[in-house]
Amino acid sequence: MSPVSFDPRLPPENNVSPTHPLAELAALLGGILLAAVLLTAGATLALDWLVPHLPASLEQRVFSGLWPAPEAGAGSQQRDPEQATAEALMLRLASHWPDNPYRLHLAVVENDEVNAFAVPGGLVLVTRGLLKRVTSENELAFVLGHELGHFHGRDQLRTLGRGLVVGLTLQALAGTAASGLPALATRMTELRFARAQEEEADRFGLALVEAEYGHVDGATAFFRRLAETRDQDPTGPGNAWLSTHPLGSARIQALEAQAREQGWPETGSLTPIAWRSASARH
Amino acid sequence: MILSNTEDVPGRTIREFYGVVTGSTVRAKHIGRDLMAGLKNLVGGELKGYTELLQEARQEAMDRMAEQAQAIGANAVVNIRFSTSSVAQGAAELFAYGTAVRVE
Amino acid sequence: MDQELVRLAINLGLPLLLLVLGYFTGTAFEHTHYRSIRLRERRWRRMPTLSFPRPLPQWQVQDTAMVTGSVVISLDYFKRFLAGLRGLVGGRVKSYESLLDRARREAILRMKESAHTAGFHAVVNLRLETSRLASSGRKGKGTAGVEILAFGTALKIADPARP
Repeated sequence: MSPVSFDPRLPPENNVSPTHPLAELAALLGGILLAAVLLTAGATLALDWLVPHLPASLEQRVFSGLWPAPEAGAGSQQRDPEQATAEALMLRLASHWPDNPYRLHLAVVENDEVNAFAVPGGLVLVTRGLLKRVTSENELAFVLGHELGHFHGRDQLRTLGRGLVVGLTLQALAGTAASGLPALATRMTELRFARAQEEEADRFGLALVEAEYGHVDGATAFFRRLAETRDQDPTGPGNAWLSTHPLGSARIQALEAQAREQGWPETGSLTPIAWRSASARH
Repeated sequence: MILSNTEDVPGRTIREFYGVVTGSTVRAKHIGRDLMAGLKNLVGGELKGYTELLQEARQEAMDRMAEQAQAIGANAVVNIRFSTSSVAQGAAELFAYGTAVRVE
Repeated sequence: MDQELVRLAINLGLPLLLLVLGYFTGTAFEHTHYRSIRLRERRWRRMPTLSFPRPLPQWQVQDTAMVTGSVVISLDYFKRFLAGLRGLVGGRVKSYESLLDRARREAILRMKESAHTAGFHAVVNLRLETSRLASSGRKGKGTAGVEILAFGTALKIADPARP
């Protein structure tokens, strides 16, 4: 067999792409973040369009299973005057909301903390602690009006849906990037939306109060008092409401601005709460 | 460029050889293919998405190897072998290597 | 609010720090390694290495032995992160290419060096095997490193100054 010559030659280094890794990082991150933002924005828009079409009766049927054991209903005035008074007040306020699709209920939570919730389906929960600390009907009216505002905006459904979408999107990315990032980003987006929803609920609540009483005096007095007591006693029971409904002076100012815009009188006679006139109160 | 996985090219004689040339790529599947594969795992059958992906990757690896051979002046690559390995979750390396020679 | 900021700083800052660290150290290691590889390749290019299974016809083979060379190279955080992003988008995982290229060339060089140390002059039937070492964390799904093994049959030739 004829000899085969050997001529050593080094091949070029073509198995490595010439792309700079930082450029690749920028391109990938940018692309993925853009896609995530678009997806979330698209889903939010879709939600905002869809939610108002969901009937309140459906919402009530679905969520009423989660409600605490009901105390509501006419005829329980003897058992719990506070609950009955508050519920009657809520219904009076709701009468100024002509499109109200809900059958509203109110229940009292035996808790000394000051708090109120709007539960999906048409249930408003208030704590005993809150009822103890209001000094006028107007104050309670604003709190209830604010919760009705959440129902008006279908806020609970929106928050649920948004939480789902954002959570899912970020979960898909979670396999790759830093572990704490998705949870954190979800929290931050939630906070942003929550603030806007709270402001809307405030505006709605204030409008209901004005419609009922003809003026908005006393609406914000309750919060001012709570803010003062919090400054004095940061861990006291009055702070529960504030921690879930962040109250900056900005919020009070926004309410006052709204009143001025609408030309609502800011002073007027405050209505005392009916049960206070009854003797059986501890 | 003649490519062969035999020791020599049938019908031709090797005159000179230059050394080993290699070509490799690392490919990852994207999340769409992942989902489809997940579904297929339930029903069975060919994972067409992956087959295509790996075929493309193998072709690219062979192209890179041929480029190397071209650059050093060879006109054939013999004794080609392939190797596939998983280098990360969801990414596979396709690797082809052979000896670059001059045949006539 | 302060607590939120601190948590944000940790959750974002720590991975970012690791990324930067991984990038700079990884690039430095790679640079040094490639320099060493290129130097040694120039030095060893005269040793014939073939994936042929048989020696060249004009060689008079006096002795044979199997020789191997292997290396395990680990991933850095930056490469891993990039590969993770690629796993979403698909396509060529460029960050791993240099890793495997280095490992392969290093393994072949080590094989040649060990053949030379044992007094051999050429290697035939070169084969390469790649395997992934899984990391013990992350339920074995992560990759700790990549091992490449190069092995072949080394030949002792009667007259090493071949044509």
